[in-house]
Amino acid sequence: MMYHEMVRVSFNDEIAAGIFKTTFKSSLISSISLPGQFINILPEPNWIQVMRRPMSIASQGNDEISIIYKAIGDGTHIMARWEKGEIVDIIGPLGNYWNGYKETFPILIGGGVGIAPILNLHNLLKKKEINHIMIMGARNGKEHFLQHDPKEQIYMSTDDGSLGINGNVVDAIQSIFLNNILPDNAKIYSCGPPLMMEAVRNYSLENNLACDLALETIMACGIGICQGCTVEKKLDKLADHSYRNRFALACMDGPIFSVKDITSCG
Amino acid sequence: MRVKIRDIIFESPLLTASGTYGYGHEVQNLVKVNEWGGIITKSVTRHPREGNPPPRIVETSSGMLNSIGLANLGVDKYCQEIIPFLNELKTQVIINIAGSAIEDYLETLEILETADGKHVGYEINISCPNVKKGGMEFGVSADMTERLTAEMRSRTDRLLIMKLGPNVTCIEEIAQAAESEGADAVSAINTVVGMTIDIQTQKPTLFTNFGGLSGPAIKPIAIANVHKIAKVVHIPIIGIGGISTIEDVIEFLLAGASLVQIGTMNYQNPDLGPQLANELSKYLNNNGIEDLSDLIGKVKYHSN
Repeated sequence: MMYHEMVRVSFNDEIAAGIFKTTFKSSLISSISLPGQFINILPEPNWIQVMRRPMSIASQGNDEISIIYKAIGDGTHIMARWEKGEIVDIIGPLGNYWNGYKETFPILIGGGVGIAPILNLHNLLKKKEINHIMIMGARNGKEHFLQHDPKEQIYMSTDDGSLGINGNVVDAIQSIFLNNILPDNAKIYSCGPPLMMEAVRNYSLENNLACDLALETIMACGIGICQGCTVEKKLDKLADHSYRNRFALACMDGPIFSVKDITSCG
Repeated sequence: MRVKIRDIIFESPLLTASGTYGYGHEVQNLVKVNEWGGIITKSVTRHPREGNPPPRIVETSSGMLNSIGLANLGVDKYCQEIIPFLNELKTQVIINIAGSAIEDYLETLEILETADGKHVGYEINISCPNVKKGGMEFGVSADMTERLTAEMRSRTDRLLIMKLGPNVTCIEEIAQAAESEGADAVSAINTVVGMTIDIQTQKPTLFTNFGGLSGPAIKPIAIANVHKIAKVVHIPIIGIGGISTIEDVIEFLLAGASLVQIGTMNYQNPDLGPQLANELSKYLNNNGIEDLSDLIGKVKYHSN
């Protein structure tokens, strides 16, 4: 089920350097959204571009839905300037959602554009009282809006060492779990920039860890029609004639994929 | 607002363009599929096709490039899984067929003809720029278009619409070839060959290097091609290319289109067709136009 809904902006502000949070009043989409899903946003009416902007949901419920995003392109710059009260055209919720965390010790890893779905999962696990840790990576401390709080198992890492753990998110895992001794049933849930995801993917493969990644691809429709948001799947053998076998769609089959099912992070 | 192609009535001249509305069932929860004049389903081929490796799409100024490569489930599954859904629709259904050899097209058509479908016609994609040794070869040659149209005409009494592309020297000859062998209509235009390069990696943005450009960026090219065709054929033309507003619809009608298809802008607004149908009816009322035929092909040239 998905809705095409006109929603009202109730909050829009820069919460860290270049990173914005927007909250919408949404009665329909918020009522059925799950952490990991996304919405497809039209930044303004009569927009000159043809593609909506897909954004992962950072929180949902109580007739509200929020997103967290970096203002980097034409769409997100328009979004960053939305005034409170502005009406925005969105479609959602779309895609699959975080799953299979109950029997695991979740290690959440987010960064940059991937903060929203990780924060959403963190809040879900807290509510369900599932013990887990969360690592957020950034280039520097100014890009972080959360506190580095090891007591609460919340860790910030920065490439320049200006906040929290010095290094990238894989360095952070290694400094948290010395000698690579991880809890039983550890499973990684991650979303972030492609290079970060690739590093996380390699780490999970090298250490034989289960790992689910929320991938970002270019996307036109978000609802399975345009067939543009392809993700290549790992296959033992390819049928001569096939359809949606070698190539999955990030909007319908994802955005969350298990590392064992894909060939790269795109 | 009713329009006819031969004996088939469309409640509005707004149709979905193939490949931009799936098979209709993907969006059934989201929009009112039956408020379109008709839907043209995504290209179906003789065998399933995986399509091209990613990246398959890229956004360009007021448009997008795609190189999907006709990913589809193949005609056998189409008959089993899609036709039963299509049969439930109240709007007119036209099935788009693609292929890479004449036999592919004919076999696909023959299988669809034996299926128990309520579809009223076929749109034949002879102009997809994204398939190796693909439909383009038909679409760039008047002789091949003539042969394919004749072969298909002899196999179906349903509407036969040849879909033409702009990547040719003379689209008029190809339209005439289709008309001469009994096509009921032509649709134009398919996407325009385009390419973008990522200057960071210095690689083409699309895996296949070239793709098909669509969206508002190509509308003037589409208008020109529709008008060129309108000057040489008597069968109806279905105009396609970057329609996003009611003004665009009127422009296509003036250029000579009897119906239009909405394509890329469905991705931005899946309700666009029904919305434009309402706006068209208002436009006709407000301007005292009784019949669409008072607009079709009625572009007024500058006197000199």
